[in-house]
Amino acid sequence: MSKTAKILVTLLLLVVFAGSLALAWREQRATAESRPPGAASTPLEGVIAVDVEPFFQDERVRKILAAHRLPVQVLRMGSRDMPGKVATGTPPDFLFASGVVAANEIVETARKANIAVTQVAPFHTPLVVASWEPIAGILVANGLAAPMQPRVYSLNMAGLTETMLAKKRWRDLRQANAYEVSRAVLVSTTDVRRSNSAAMYLALTGYALTGEIIDNRATARATAARLAELFKRQGFQENYVNGNFDDYVAIGIGKAPLAFIYENQLVSHAMTKKGISADMALLYPKPTIVNKVVFVATNERAKALGELLASNAELQGIAIDHGFRTADTDRFVNAVKPTGLAVQPRIVDVVDPPSAGVMAEMIDVVSKEMTQ
Amino acid sequence: MSAHRWLAAAAAIWLLATGCGRQDTSTGRSAGSDDAGAPVFRVLATSDLRDALPLQEMVEKATGVKLRFTFGGTMESTEAVLAGKADADAAWFANARYLLSDAQGQSRVKLQEKIALSPIAVGVSESAANQLHWTDPAIADRLTWKDIAAAAKAGKLTYALSNPATSNQGFMALMGVVAATSQKAEALTAADVDRRAIADFIKGYKLPGDNSSDLSEQFIAQQGTRVNAFINYESWLLSLNASGRLREKLTLIYPREGVSTADYPLLLLNDARRADYLKVVDYLKSEPAQLWLARQTLRRPIKPELAARVSELPSHTGLRVELPFSTDRALADGLIDAYLNEFRTPIASTFVLDTSGSMAGATRRGQLVQAIHYIAGADNSLTGRIAKLTSREKLWLLPFADQPRQRTAFTVPAGSPPARGVQSVADSKAKQQVLAEVRDYADGLRMTGGTALYDAVYLALVEMLEEQKKNPDYRYSVVAFTDGENNQGRGLARFKADYAALPEDVRGIPVFMVLYGEAREADLKALVATTGGKVFDARNTPLYRVFRDIRSYQ
Repeated sequence: MSKTAKILVTLLLLVVFAGSLALAWREQRATAESRPPGAASTPLEGVIAVDVEPFFQDERVRKILAAHRLPVQVLRMGSRDMPGKVATGTPPDFLFASGVVAANEIVETARKANIAVTQVAPFHTPLVVASWEPIAGILVANGLAAPMQPRVYSLNMAGLTETMLAKKRWRDLRQANAYEVSRAVLVSTTDVRRSNSAAMYLALTGYALTGEIIDNRATARATAARLAELFKRQGFQENYVNGNFDDYVAIGIGKAPLAFIYENQLVSHAMTKKGISADMALLYPKPTIVNKVVFVATNERAKALGELLASNAELQGIAIDHGFRTADTDRFVNAVKPTGLAVQPRIVDVVDPPSAGVMAEMIDVVSKEMTQ
Repeated sequence: MSAHRWLAAAAAIWLLATGCGRQDTSTGRSAGSDDAGAPVFRVLATSDLRDALPLQEMVEKATGVKLRFTFGGTMESTEAVLAGKADADAAWFANARYLLSDAQGQSRVKLQEKIALSPIAVGVSESAANQLHWTDPAIADRLTWKDIAAAAKAGKLTYALSNPATSNQGFMALMGVVAATSQKAEALTAADVDRRAIADFIKGYKLPGDNSSDLSEQFIAQQGTRVNAFINYESWLLSLNASGRLREKLTLIYPREGVSTADYPLLLLNDARRADYLKVVDYLKSEPAQLWLARQTLRRPIKPELAARVSELPSHTGLRVELPFSTDRALADGLIDAYLNEFRTPIASTFVLDTSGSMAGATRRGQLVQAIHYIAGADNSLTGRIAKLTSREKLWLLPFADQPRQRTAFTVPAGSPPARGVQSVADSKAKQQVLAEVRDYADGLRMTGGTALYDAVYLALVEMLEEQKKNPDYRYSVVAFTDGENNQGRGLARFKADYAALPEDVRGIPVFMVLYGEAREADLKALVATTGGKVFDARNTPLYRVFRDIRSYQ
């Protein structure tokens, strides 16, 4: 992105979010003023990604935070909208973004606004593809997937990316009887202009195409230009975080044969429903990216909260109950076991996304292509 | 306290502190008093959601949020939200893809959550489905929009469908045909439209309309005579089947690889009402609300495990492969333009205009002239292009007072369609010329004398019948506008008797009555009950908007 473009984008974000920010702040100030004397310490005000909302709604979390005199007041918003909150110069105490792409943007915006921030990633989750048994069967027959556990497969990203770029349709594949349709083989994602997970998909297909973590702008631009069609050809994409997963669950195989999601979405779904439906399948891209859920603090108290989230064993355990992974792999695996979803205990084949600058470059290329 | 409750409390305190909500000043709510203090949560819903009206009370009872629906057409509501003029805290659309494929639209929507599902299906009268062998599941499961278009072309399928230019169902049906007949699997553009296939499909389009409730009534009345199929959301087709009012039940066909599913997103527009919005969403997605929606309105619950418990919904409908929604605006706009100006059966109608003395005042005359200017104008917005006279259209203006005056005919010339695909085309010189003539005519209207309404409508019908004999390839109708009671010429009884004596074909010519000024609603309703058509109330709505609404019924 050019410097002018960046300034324009920043200005735009400012305009769009200044209003809602002002409003939210007035609300929160009003509450603070009306609190009866003797109540617990002032709540930390934070904006959070939808992924961690159930965590903060959990009564156990509220109690623990209150006990540590770090209660919170949270407002859900899109991660990629969060930098706008910082650009105003009066950021919330913390911003809990769904991934590193958004976190990098927040940190960058804070740096420009001369706001000191600290980051910590208390939980993580790998990017996976939610699919269906009939689809997984076709992928296996075509050498694009390999069974690992019942209803769990590894997904050959290089092979799949090649198949998609070759504009193959499902009916062109071998043994495609179960899904003999003229729909193109494509993974459905959310809108790359708005979402972190779609950016991770861009990073992953970029790696699949080049065989390396892209580290320079020229390759970034060239690769993104080739990959743009994987987004564009999807037609309308949901532009809110859960949209893609909602369609997968609610409408099913006819809408989303392959859906690019965070593992925690499927795991928490399985935990809530006490299992997944019989024909759902979980595909681990090979390699995949592990998404860090990044907590950005703008002051010392919020920093303490971030550290608590990352170190308190109880809080870490509750995060697992909401589908996230922590350093305690055994606990994660044991928590998921009753659902019958045979998650991969350790994600071994992992790559990092490109650096923030390179990633921004790639998103920029695809975004421009999408709006044409 | 949960986050939701905290937000609600915060919002309430904020509202008390400031005295009013950002967009709530119009509700006249007074700060301080208990019940009156809870502001109305205004939801702009698309008209196909009218059957969900009881949710208003259910939401209020369960959440305390005073939810109030207002209903509008899909395109009109989309336009209002896009322009930031929705005057509502939230919007509830059958689907919001058109809105959300636009950056401006995205910026209006603060939060969104899908509430229910209903795929668009082709409901075919059982006898017709039998003749087409579509009752055999092995055949039905493989039918595509191409087969639907072929049956329409062969005259075996005649269907009711809401206007493709104003409704999601109509538009997505056209898109289904486009997708099934193009060579590409996805990313369709305006150039990929198979013009012949669209023309074939339109051959079966016999019963247009603007909203599902009206169209359902029309369908019930005309099933087996003019139409044998109804293309609509599954929920409406299942409701008709369950109503016991059909001559024969409908067999539902879900075109292979061409299903478009309404997902009923509830969209937050006013960020200040976030807390109430979240409460409403939580309730609408709760088991009682989901099961109510499923059992009473036959929409599918958003949660599959709940859907499995609703026996009223079909259990097997084959593999329903979703039609990807193209985000190409040039395709959407080109297709709607082409539908209106090239493919649709062209409109031929007489506008019967009350020019009696009571119309002489500046306001009334002004409104009438403005309304005529509007349909003959140059407004190319989403709604403007629906109201506007279309290429090939025939229009007669028939003013009346003590008796019908001289009628004047206008014919809008045909455009020159592209050889391939579709595209939005600017008005030709010739078309601009005709539009200008219509506007000039309106400017010259003189208001004097009495009101011979029935004489004028009768004459218009007789003339339309004659025209229809000469040019059967048009869709004929009469639009009648009056601001007072009939006080000259024949009365209602005589009109009814004379109408009954007209040839049978006259029953295919609806009369759209505009209620204005001191016109008597009961009289107009009685007239429409005789002729078929609909009464439009312009007493509290600007006349030009009423004319626009009528246009989507023509």
